[in-house]
Amino acid sequence: MPSISDDIFFAGITEINQKLTKKEFSAHELARAFCDRLEAIGPRYNALALSLRKTALRDAKDVDGDIKRERLRGPLQGIPFGAKDLLSFAKHPTTWGAQPYAGQVFDYTAGALKHIQKHGGVLTGKLAMVELAGGPSYRYASASLTGPGLNPWDTTRWSGGSSSGSAIAVAAGLVTYALGSETSGSILTPSAFCGVTGLRPTYGLVSRNGAMALSWTLDKIGPICRSAEDCGLVLEAIAGADPDDPSSAHKSFYYTPQFSRDLKDVTIGFEPADFSDGVDPAARADYAKALDTIRSLGVRLTQTKLPEFPYGPVIGAIISTEGSAVFEPLIKSGKVDQLADQHQIAGLKAGLEIPAKDYLKAMRIRSLIQEAFRDLLSTVDVLIAPTRFEPAPKITQPLDRRSADRPTPSVAGFGALIPAGNLAGLPALSIPCGFANGMPMGLQLVGSPFSENMLLAIGRTFQERTDWHQRRPPIPT
Amino acid sequence: MSMSKFTRRELAATLATSAVLLGRPQAQPNAQPLPANADEELKASEAQLRDGAGQLDKFPLPMSTEPATTFKP
Repeated sequence: MPSISDDIFFAGITEINQKLTKKEFSAHELARAFCDRLEAIGPRYNALALSLRKTALRDAKDVDGDIKRERLRGPLQGIPFGAKDLLSFAKHPTTWGAQPYAGQVFDYTAGALKHIQKHGGVLTGKLAMVELAGGPSYRYASASLTGPGLNPWDTTRWSGGSSSGSAIAVAAGLVTYALGSETSGSILTPSAFCGVTGLRPTYGLVSRNGAMALSWTLDKIGPICRSAEDCGLVLEAIAGADPDDPSSAHKSFYYTPQFSRDLKDVTIGFEPADFSDGVDPAARADYAKALDTIRSLGVRLTQTKLPEFPYGPVIGAIISTEGSAVFEPLIKSGKVDQLADQHQIAGLKAGLEIPAKDYLKAMRIRSLIQEAFRDLLSTVDVLIAPTRFEPAPKITQPLDRRSADRPTPSVAGFGALIPAGNLAGLPALSIPCGFANGMPMGLQLVGSPFSENMLLAIGRTFQERTDWHQRRPPIPT
Repeated sequence: MSMSKFTRRELAATLATSAVLLGRPQAQPNAQPLPANADEELKASEAQLRDGAGQLDKFPLPMSTEPATTFKP
């Protein structure tokens, strides 16, 4: 049996798929190697919720049979991947990262996972997450059934969340790609903190059927990968209409790099201060270089301001109201007290008392936000900012407290781009762009609805000129 | 049901008066101590939601603005 080299664990989708179709190794051998690695290393970072070795090896054998008969299903065929444990996988536990749901089993598989199965993808494991995808809010990284997500770059620091296991597993080469989800930051944040590439699709592009709901009007399922290219390949597989998802946009996505717009025709809006005094001092040099690289793509960079809205209170009211409504049975039964994070427990209880007028006010302001971003994105094609303005915090640091040694930036900048982009249902791509004291930092690109191909074109071209996305954390074997 | 439209002048007026309410990340000043127990956490969460609602109340909202929901019969 040929051994699977370490390079394969960190390779991209197309490279691995080509080796499979050339029969350099079998899908079964590949799946076994990835399962071994996920089971051995995943728990070190609290990344693994459930190994799916048995079904993975069975599916991999089917892939080998298909490849033998030259029944080729595309680039995802035979590729080992992981899924955030809020996506149901029939007849296996789906815990939502939360103690009260530790034994929960569904008899159906989430729509996004079924799509990948049709393409011959091999699901090797369910990946850890912050309990209930973060609920209204949580204070500590330990807000999870599986404990705090440990960052592979420095295990005293947090991986980010709520798609913690998904980002860890990709960064550490435990899966080739993973599915995560985002309500407000849960794909972008762990992608930035772990030095991988995450794509938050336009709201409604990917079916939420079979995924835990936190906020019906904000939740999105999306890929976390080693590159923008891979995000495009995965999004094409998982996107599409779903009559079982009331929020489905009934649109498909075709990853078309060959037809991508000339970047010389693209205008990118940004706030220069975000890349200087707005960001952690240790990251400023790499962010300055990242901006230079973006400029070198031929795009036009123009200073822009975000529309001014109370993004924090708006998104807070919406997530609290919808989340507490979703989990009303959990709260009223008292089982909410079994959650790991006291702040999360309190937020869910308090959210049940939000008056309807407050929720509706937030949703009305949201209409204005959508309109304002439609106007803004008619003047620029893309918005760019640091994904997060500081590197991953220490595991023990309260997440709802600002760092004591970080002064408030002089210019507001795009600090609210994550909640703003989510409120407006916009797609976003986070790509690694450097380091701050050894910890990865990310660059966030946000576009108009259904402009994922443009974001991916910029990300892919950036990654052709840099190698941040190819860096590997030190993984003790 | 489509969202009610309002004029650009109305939007500009709304944004100009809401400048002080610019959304920022949720981090709180370090001076506030962390709640000591579950009751204090609940009170703190309720206070945070009231504070948020108060900020939204200050945001000038044209009467014609409808919520960002779409009903599909």
